[in-house]
Amino acid sequence: MIRATLVLVRHSLTRVRVVAIAMAAVLVGFQFLLTQVAVVLDRNQAFGPLATMLPDFMREMAGPSMLAFMSFSGIVALGFFHPIVLSSLLGLAIAIGTEPAGEVETRFDDLTLTRPVPRAAVIARTVVVMAIVVGGILTLMALGSWTGLTCCTPATVQRPSIGLLRSLALGLGAIVWCWGGLALAAASAVRRRAVAAGLTGIAALVAYLVDYLGRVWDPLSHVSPLSPFHYFEPMTLITGAPLNLTHLGILFGTGLAGAIAAHVIFGRRDL
Amino acid sequence: MAPAIHLEHIGKRYGRLTALRDVSLDVDTGEIFGFLGLNGAGKTTTIRILLDLVRPTTGRATVFGADCQARSLDVRARVGYLPGEPGFYGDMTGEATLDLLGRLGGSRVDPAWRRELVDRLELAASDLRRRIREYSTGMKRKLGIVQAFQADPPLLVLDEPTEGLDPLMQEVFYELVAEMRRRGRTIFMSSHVLPEVERVCDRIGLLRDGELVLLATVQEVRGLAGRRIRVSFHADVAAPPSFPPDCEVIGVQPRLWDLRVRGTMAPIVALVTGLPVADLDVQMPHLEEILRTYYAVERSS
Repeated sequence: MIRATLVLVRHSLTRVRVVAIAMAAVLVGFQFLLTQVAVVLDRNQAFGPLATMLPDFMREMAGPSMLAFMSFSGIVALGFFHPIVLSSLLGLAIAIGTEPAGEVETRFDDLTLTRPVPRAAVIARTVVVMAIVVGGILTLMALGSWTGLTCCTPATVQRPSIGLLRSLALGLGAIVWCWGGLALAAASAVRRRAVAAGLTGIAALVAYLVDYLGRVWDPLSHVSPLSPFHYFEPMTLITGAPLNLTHLGILFGTGLAGAIAAHVIFGRRDL
Repeated sequence: MAPAIHLEHIGKRYGRLTALRDVSLDVDTGEIFGFLGLNGAGKTTTIRILLDLVRPTTGRATVFGADCQARSLDVRARVGYLPGEPGFYGDMTGEATLDLLGRLGGSRVDPAWRRELVDRLELAASDLRRRIREYSTGMKRKLGIVQAFQADPPLLVLDEPTEGLDPLMQEVFYELVAEMRRRGRTIFMSSHVLPEVERVCDRIGLLRDGELVLLATVQEVRGLAGRRIRVSFHADVAAPPSFPPDCEVIGVQPRLWDLRVRGTMAPIVALVTGLPVADLDVQMPHLEEILRTYYAVERSS
């Protein structure tokens, strides 16, 4: 089982390497640039004026986190929760998570699973590849921020701590893993990769909107906890709150539940 | 000794559709078994049950005595499989594909044996270094044959093995199958090409609408149709009042008898002895003629 899983992991990493390396390069560069943007804003003392430029209703809606965001740390941390970064990583996790469906669709399974390869190895492979790729990219993103902060930032500015960067990366990793696990569960039950990816993508979009509406509109606030995005709270981390381990556990647990469901469904289905 | 393949009352339903109904058969070790049937008859479903890609609704299947579900990994470690449509990744090279599938196999691939297979199927080293998306249909089929044979497994399950191969390569494949037989390997192959089955296989099983309707040796199947005998005479001959019981009269003329004989030729030889026989033409029936009648029944039903 372990040997087969490792062979499949190597194969999948080879296939995904170009996309993963390209995405890592872009995101690391983005993280580095954000530190330099923060340096420029700080040098021009622009954080205060920027915050005052926002309309009152927006400041009230966002609360103290908006002020925290309009700070050196907030700008540096932006890369860990910007919607484009978030959707890119979710897309990558969904692409990796739906590989089992892709292999059924292309009939690659007819070549691999007719050899002494347990079906569990296919699911385990996907989990390992997701962990390596997403974990690697997040680590490199944090490294990009750290490099920018240590090499090209004046000593006078109040830099975000390594702990904050770690917490932000962990939170982002948790939400990405959560959707990756759900994508894996969908992929284990269908025959077409596009169906699994489409279902998971639409579910993620709906969940994001539900959480957003729940945050800004009271009548929907009670449904917001149904969305995994409810438990992804980078802005509270920027305000100095500690990482909420319960929320982190909910996200990792949801992803794990998806992976376990995938293991059970894929092990029992006809291919 | 357990048979290489044992199917026991195998049934498979997909919702309301019955793909296989009570299929039972044994394939002995060292045998070459041809699995026939029209598209949708259930051949591929049967093969997928053997490989545990599909789970039967009823019955059980074993390979070399090991249950195909309960001991699936043991079974698959002893099988080489050529799918009807191999799902190679187009962006991988042939060599990388063979290496990957070799590493996933149950036993070590002997590089010398793999090289021999590649040489015999005329896949150049430069071909193997190319991406599979650049391969022709025939080259993909050759690669499929190499990946199935490369671990030299005791059982080969081949789905339409010569589809897409040119006649010269088909000959190479038949020689390879003959060699496998000499080495005691068992081959279970599905095919639409009846002359190929007739040439290569020891026994055949015919699936029709999910049911096994014929299970016999190739010789026995030929016997079902009988041999066609045309006896021509130098002079006019009066037909006898009755022909032997196993003899079907196709046409009788004063100087030509056209007959079909099932069983021994002795009664016909006795009948024409003493008559002015000019020529005796005996035609062996082809599998195709016989099986066409089975297929025709399916089409009409």
